[in-house]
Amino acid sequence: MEGNIEALTGALALVGYGLGAIGPGIGIGIVAGNAITAMARQPEMQGTIRTTMFLGIALTEALALIGFVLFFIASA
Amino acid sequence: MILATECDVANEVICAPANVNDLFEFPTIFTIGGLDFGRTAILMFLAAFVTVAILHFGLRQQRLVPTKYGVAIEGAVGFVRDGIGRDIIGPESTKYLPYLMSLFFFLLVGNLFEVTPLINFPITSRMAIPFFLSLVTYVIFMFMGFARNNFRYLIDTAWPRHVPIGLRWLVGLIELVSVFLLRPITLAVRLFANMVAGHLMLTLLLGSGVIFLAAIPEIGLKGTIGVFWFGLGLFMFLLEVLVAVLQAYIFTLLTAIYIESSIHFEH
Repeated sequence: MEGNIEALTGALALVGYGLGAIGPGIGIGIVAGNAITAMARQPEMQGTIRTTMFLGIALTEALALIGFVLFFIASA
Repeated sequence: MILATECDVANEVICAPANVNDLFEFPTIFTIGGLDFGRTAILMFLAAFVTVAILHFGLRQQRLVPTKYGVAIEGAVGFVRDGIGRDIIGPESTKYLPYLMSLFFFLLVGNLFEVTPLINFPITSRMAIPFFLSLVTYVIFMFMGFARNNFRYLIDTAWPRHVPIGLRWLVGLIELVSVFLLRPITLAVRLFANMVAGHLMLTLLLGSGVIFLAAIPEIGLKGTIGVFWFGLGLFMFLLEVLVAVLQAYIFTLLTAIYIESSIHFEH
């Protein structure tokens, strides 16, 4: 076990994905929170705001998902 | 995967998917002219068939008072036409509507296969399908970009004139890479990874719930933890229905946005 880097690859990939999920997590929170604020202020704009919110979430989420795919590539 | 290598062969029910790939790769069932048909390919044809069928039976007769089913289908079609096509692309959207409509309904059916009993496999969790669809989108918006703006599409992307001169090369470089290289990849990976994650999570939670509950006679009271896993699995099941619909919507929405950004390139 001593000096065996191979055994650590899966665990390192897991840590890497955990780190990669931090940023998008914060980002999605900001997007959704601001969308709720906007909807509360202007309920008549709800449709547009919801579309834009999903778009923002989708773009932010992509980073976390790339990390998720890289986890499988790195740990395989 | 760590568990699989140390797996106790005597207890085969946990060993059965030895690797995560076993959940997504199925053996070939039959071959036609050199093309191998596995479970995924058959489900893909089934998804196309179901898509055509639900639209055909929903819209085959124009009634003065439509049936409940007809209203539901008309609502979904109207949602794609108005909510995605007209709101994003504008009056020109009728030209792209056939593509957007078939994309949305095919992805919706394909994603919902994840939570359909007896099928339980989202065809979009195989990279071939989302990547092919995103390449079709890429060809459409590249073609429209160059057809409408000639080579200004490429030049103005790499050298944006509305940006201050000092930052222009940096913004241009980022835009160039993101528009011409990353767009089709992220579009495909977003759908693919969502579906893979959902399928894995449902398999793990519901599977471990069933295994623990089935093992109650052997391991006694400790097996009741399976109730918790199974309950969590059922909650995730409901969440995955939402994710399946949302991802079909987002894929279509982003396709519309990419097309819009290349035909109305000036602003």
